[in-house]
Amino acid sequence: MNNTAIQTDNLVKTIPQAGRDLQILRGVSLSIDSGESVAITGTSGSGKSTLLGLLAGLDLPTSGAVQLFGQHLDGLDEDQRATMRLGKVGFVFQSFHLLENLTALENVMLPLELSTALPPHPGLPPQGGKEQIAREVLQQVGLGERLSHFPNQLSGGEQQRVALARAFVTRPQILFADEPTGNLDRTTGHEIIDLLFALQEKFHTTLVLVTHDDTLAARCQKHYRLEEGMLA
Amino acid sequence: MKLLLHHWLQRWRMPEMRLLLLALTVSVTVVTAVGFFTSRVENAMQAQARQLLGGDLVLSSARPLDDAYLQRGQQLGLETAQTISFPSMAASGDKLQLSQLKAVSSAYPLRGELKTAAAPDAPEQASTGQLPARGEIWAEARLFAELGVKAGEQVQLGRSTFKLARVLTQEPDRSSNLFQLAPVVLMNLDDLPATELLSPASRARFNQLFAGEEKLVKQLQQELELKLKPTERIRTLEEDLSSVQQTLQRSGRFLGLATLLSVVLAGAAVVLTSSSLMRRELPAVAVLKAMGMSRRQVLRDHAFSLLLTALLAALAGVALGFVLQFGLAEWLSQFVGKDLPAPSSAPALSGLLTAIILLLGFALPQLLRLVNTSPMQILQGTLQRPRQSVWLVVACLLLAVFGLLWLQSRDLQLAGMLFAGLLAGIGLFWLLAKAFLRLTQVVGRKLHSRWIPSLGRSRRAVLLVVVFATGLFSLLLLTTVRTDLLNRWQETLPPDAPDNFLINIQPAEVKPLEAFLAGHGVKTHLYPMVRGRLVEINGQPVQPEDYENQRAQRLLEREFNLSSFAEFPSSNALLEGKWFKQGETGFSIEKGIGETLSFGMGDKLTFDIAGQRLSDTVTSVREVRWDSMQPNFFVIAAPGSLGDMPSTHITSIHLGEKKAIVTDMIRQFPSVTVIDVAAIVAQVRSLVEQASMAVQGIFVFTLIAGVVVLIAALQSQKAERRREIAILKSLGAGRAELRRRIWGEFLLLGALAGVLAGLLALTAGNLFGYYLFDLDMKLDLMPLLVGGVVGSLLVGVAGFWNLRGLLNVLPMSLLKA
Repeated sequence: MNNTAIQTDNLVKTIPQAGRDLQILRGVSLSIDSGESVAITGTSGSGKSTLLGLLAGLDLPTSGAVQLFGQHLDGLDEDQRATMRLGKVGFVFQSFHLLENLTALENVMLPLELSTALPPHPGLPPQGGKEQIAREVLQQVGLGERLSHFPNQLSGGEQQRVALARAFVTRPQILFADEPTGNLDRTTGHEIIDLLFALQEKFHTTLVLVTHDDTLAARCQKHYRLEEGMLA
Repeated sequence: MKLLLHHWLQRWRMPEMRLLLLALTVSVTVVTAVGFFTSRVENAMQAQARQLLGGDLVLSSARPLDDAYLQRGQQLGLETAQTISFPSMAASGDKLQLSQLKAVSSAYPLRGELKTAAAPDAPEQASTGQLPARGEIWAEARLFAELGVKAGEQVQLGRSTFKLARVLTQEPDRSSNLFQLAPVVLMNLDDLPATELLSPASRARFNQLFAGEEKLVKQLQQELELKLKPTERIRTLEEDLSSVQQTLQRSGRFLGLATLLSVVLAGAAVVLTSSSLMRRELPAVAVLKAMGMSRRQVLRDHAFSLLLTALLAALAGVALGFVLQFGLAEWLSQFVGKDLPAPSSAPALSGLLTAIILLLGFALPQLLRLVNTSPMQILQGTLQRPRQSVWLVVACLLLAVFGLLWLQSRDLQLAGMLFAGLLAGIGLFWLLAKAFLRLTQVVGRKLHSRWIPSLGRSRRAVLLVVVFATGLFSLLLLTTVRTDLLNRWQETLPPDAPDNFLINIQPAEVKPLEAFLAGHGVKTHLYPMVRGRLVEINGQPVQPEDYENQRAQRLLEREFNLSSFAEFPSSNALLEGKWFKQGETGFSIEKGIGETLSFGMGDKLTFDIAGQRLSDTVTSVREVRWDSMQPNFFVIAAPGSLGDMPSTHITSIHLGEKKAIVTDMIRQFPSVTVIDVAAIVAQVRSLVEQASMAVQGIFVFTLIAGVVVLIAALQSQKAERRREIAILKSLGAGRAELRRRIWGEFLLLGALAGVLAGLLALTAGNLFGYYLFDLDMKLDLMPLLVGGVVGSLLVGVAGFWNLRGLLNVLPMSLLKA
């Protein structure tokens, strides 16, 4: 079995800006193993988020190749890439991006509703529905009492917990986290990160974490540093 | 499916979704309520107009008609009837009177009803299904007076003697016999042969009347048109250019106009709501796509939500529209009558179609743009609307607007005019709004105002002005301009419109009759009239068979009225050439007759007037208002050119309460025939009133649609406002300052929108009036003033009311939301 979750080869991303081509990534090659936790750091504008997007197949590189779960992403259209992510990839964003009109429970149920097959869930009766799974994950992140709250009724830390629950509810093989503590205070940020690593360990999820916090990066098994679009 | 339904239910938590349903429901309600109501009123008007024809289709000829036509009508399942009318003398003792004999078959009339009275001064009654029995006749009161007989006495007609049973007060097809010379005498068709009155020399008019299902009537008409002989002609509602029909057409246009404006307003609300719905859905879609939702799933999910919403709106709207039209009909019952016919089901369908067009054109394309949202945006933190398909959205929008205009007006030309007007209007509004805001910026800086300059920079302000101006434009067009148009239109039928035509006035009677009428305070102008047949155009003989057009053939078959006078007729408009100066010769022709018979300025026409020939050149072309109730002439010769041609005189007078002088007048001028058109005038007036009341009823819906647009516009900017107020509060702005800003902004924007709307309403109203309703242009600054004040108050109050909640929230929680 191939143990590599993500592999890239000489990734280049160029975007047109003010009539000129702006090179954001200039040949990034990296490899991430299954179950590994990887931090990508760099200063603002170094291309961290762009790299994360390319790794997750949200966008395609200008040149170079990305392999996700051993499959080449180039040549796949947007929908084919989306199908690849379905149920296998989780996301945590800096600004949470919960759906305002859904309750905490409904937000967590969303990925389950999108994928047809339920993830394996030990200890849950086979007929246990999506709601049951979502409730349980919310309990694991400590929000068992907040199920019917809307995002604007939750604190920032609580919202990020809901986002974590949403990310892990499908037992994804890879979790992409984009500055997950960027909008939180220090203490809450620590709590969220502890929770993130606990869940990652529990579910053996590959973690790709974008951050500019070096202490946070140090908790990961591997650390890539981006400087002006290149790995340092 | 369950999941789609689940998502749809979840979306109801967004105010935009509810607003979209409201906007769609309002538009469907407007369309269907107006549609149901106008369909009922139109059905009623058509029925009323049909009454004036006596049937749905009338076949008419100067010669006996083939029975095969009647049989064909019966085969198709249509009701049929026959009438034969001709002038004949009625006698009682030693008195003689010319009467218009009308022999009718048992089914007459197919539409409308006869009304009679037991005696000339007895109350009128409807004689439903009754006709004169064999051996009996009914006659107009004038015959009773002329012959000096009472009801029940004997009257001789040809070789038969009849009992004069009742007074005939109303017959349905009277208006088509406007120039009837003598009192009508109604008799049973079966009695006619015994009188031996009808001979080939009789100037008789044979009519076959048909009525029934519209489709079958149309089928018969098509069949008959192929078989008709040159002397036979079909008269239908569409072809009968009577004054009533012209009025009907105008009413229909007014009603259609009112509907169109409501629909356009509702469309504006849908655009605003769906665009803010899209903005709200954008992050959700980006997140879902990052999670692995495919474009197809996004599309299916949103299309399902929208279509289900449209369906709900259509159902609710049709139901509401149906209920509301009862209220509308009840409210207007004194004008449209209590017994309106049932509406057709077509408005329900056009209601559903309206919802779907609104959705497809206005909402769905905006949401389709969501499908192309890149999930990358969620990482870059810059959530922007996808721009690539903006032209598709615009194209869909324009197509939908045009589709709606067409659907509602069923008139390509009118739809085109309105569409162009709308686009030009919005473009104009945009430019003017920008210019005005730039001006306020300059003024604001001079006044050292803290908020006016920022207002002037805002793109949002331009949008608000354009939206409000469009809404207010519709409202203004339907209030001030409509009232103005209606007044001007009704002025064409003033209360002192002539109610009696006097014809057959002998030359010797002109002066004494003028003196008689002046003595009773009745104003009049007598016109000479000769009857002539057009025989040559530019020296070339003309025959009916030279023309394919039926109207042209008819015009050449019969004699038409010529007159000659010096003063240009006030109800006419000079289109070409010049009116006669003293000593000049020539003909002034009516535009329509020239077009039908293909002659115009400079052509030489020759008429045969009782064996004498009259030739002259066309020196002017006039447009004639046939519904002016004034004597009108196809051809007017220069004064004096009729010379000693055998002529009578004609005039129309307003008698009103002075009706009693008619008996005196007839005694003094026995040969003068008085045609009482008061009933016809009353009928035309009541139709006009019905139409204007219907428009006013529809206006209520337009007002509701306008309010929804306002709310939609404000709602669509609420998120932005919330952020803005939060920032201002965090910078130290107090509640009083914020309140002042909001009031100031909306009052100013409302006033600007109102003035602009007034300007366009004034222009559009004048254009409509001029091109569609033949009214003169008029500059009235009232709409500008009303627009400014109403716009300012309406928008100011609505704006503050909508945003007042934001003043109470703490800046921190606003920032978090």
